Amino acid sequence: MSARAAEAWSKPPAVPETHYVSGLVYSDESVFADEKRRIFDRTWHLACHESEVPEPYDFRTVDYVGTPLLVVRGADRRIRTFFNVCPHRGAKIVHELSGNTKRFTCFYHLWSFDAVGACTDIPRQEGYQTVGLKKDDVGLREVRTEIHVGLVFVNLDDQATPLGQYLGKALDAFEGPMTAGKGLEVFHYNRAIIQSNWKAWQETNLDVYHEFMHVLLRRTQMTAAPLEDRKVTVHPNGHTSIAGLRAKYEYYKGMQSRDDRLALPTLRADDFIFGTVFPHVAVLARGTTMRIDVVTPLDAHRTLIEWRGLGVRGDSAEDRQARVRHHNQYWGPFGRNVPEDAYAAEAAEMGFGRGAARFQVIARDEGGSGQDDGMLRAFYGEWSRRTGRPAANPSNAPMA
Amino acid sequence: MTEQNVRELVYRSCLALDREDFDGFLALCDPALHYVVTAYSPEIRKEMTWMEQDLAGMKALLAMVPQHLRRTGSLHRHVSVYQVEAPASDGTIGALSSFLVTHTALDGGSRLFAVGHYHDRIAATGGRHLLKTRRAHLETRDLGIGLHIPI
Repeated sequence: MSARAAEAWSKPPAVPETHYVSGLVYSDESVFADEKRRIFDRTWHLACHESEVPEPYDFRTVDYVGTPLLVVRGADRRIRTFFNVCPHRGAKIVHELSGNTKRFTCFYHLWSFDAVGACTDIPRQEGYQTVGLKKDDVGLREVRTEIHVGLVFVNLDDQATPLGQYLGKALDAFEGPMTAGKGLEVFHYNRAIIQSNWKAWQETNLDVYHEFMHVLLRRTQMTAAPLEDRKVTVHPNGHTSIAGLRAKYEYYKGMQSRDDRLALPTLRADDFIFGTVFPHVAVLARGTTMRIDVVTPLDAHRTLIEWRGLGVRGDSAEDRQARVRHHNQYWGPFGRNVPEDAYAAEAAEMGFGRGAARFQVIARDEGGSGQDDGMLRAFYGEWSRRTGRPAANPSNAPMA
Repeated sequence: MTEQNVRELVYRSCLALDREDFDGFLALCDPALHYVVTAYSPEIRKEMTWMEQDLAGMKALLAMVPQHLRRTGSLHRHVSVYQVEAPASDGTIGALSSFLVTHTALDGGSRLFAVGHYHDRIAATGGRHLLKTRRAHLETRDLGIGLHIPI
């Protein structure tokens, strides 16, 4: 084989259109605008885990693709979400990342709101009498909020499909680990802005073949069970899951096998189960601990990634320490796995960001097992359906 | 053990990590080493542990570093020892230091990577001064693509 000149380099791969992706999906600003409008404004977004707002009047603030949101647990214990902006002059109201309060007061003119989004105070309200503006007219904008296996999802589209219907069976494997017994709680949160398109991160979660990149996975995973034991499932709406993965942790220097006593409900300590929710959530359980990724685009070339680690609510100090250690070995910012994925996402940006790389190939077909690219194809199938742009040719231009 | 001994050990431990002289770094560690990296999350309102190693764990972790795909370039720990305590009843001495870590990319550009504090305890063992415990508490929580070696 020889190297290729420009014309050959620009020619699509000789595989079906569903089996490759154009580099324009990462770099074209009009594609990014469509993603915001047609995907992120209409799909369910993971805002937080319910353990982050455990008590009445607990709140969390999050930013969702440029929209500030306020997640609050009310006195009735129901979790609601609002635009975190004042209806008066549009300023962001709550600047703390979390807390507990019965009253949210905008710093600007001291308008106040309660935990159900009602306006409770307008200083010198009589100034609005001549135009008839009342507190009842100026509550916060509520955002649809639904909870599944402890995960608090929000949707900016009031007409969106209900969460349960949207998810289908995508997270069924996590129901036992996440809800049986005392349930789970978040013990780890960190976030980072990486220099890549958002999809490059999610691809690291969808691309099973890339375990070759990680010495940790080569040692603990590829040798732990026959690759044929793995089963990729593609769910409606672009969600995916994989089962049949196991790990032999002791195969990596310095790690020990994990005690089944610490296994999350319904799992073995060496199980590794995995699921994604389109477009930008991944949930992973490694027997004794869990990780949740939320991937939020900032622009076409920068992405905010939030990582959460979870353990069993009410863990003893000793058990929690072990779970944290297990989590950190792979997934913490000093872990052996996640920093390598981030390296890969940024390297992909270097290739695709300015158009040097033209296509990526997602053509591995192992019958939904082994290192099949089926999850990537499912993702891009849904992406194409929602954006109205084929991932193989998102500009809909005549192919080279 | 003098204050100067304590300061020298803190600085030498950072120089060894900067150079990725892992054998040199481990030689400065007490057999009872306990090395943790912590951070506080205002999002979940919890103290977090991001790395925890004893000496054996640290040796294993550092031995595997060359086999990992990881951040290129180099780190530079700029450390100021703020406070050296009087010896405790077990003979160890505590030290509080501030650190700023810069990352220099392969093409020569440098940027601030992380800030935080070291909370160290230094032991005098067999006539040598060794790092017995270190809690590296990070104020910086966005570490970009992360790190394979201790901060």
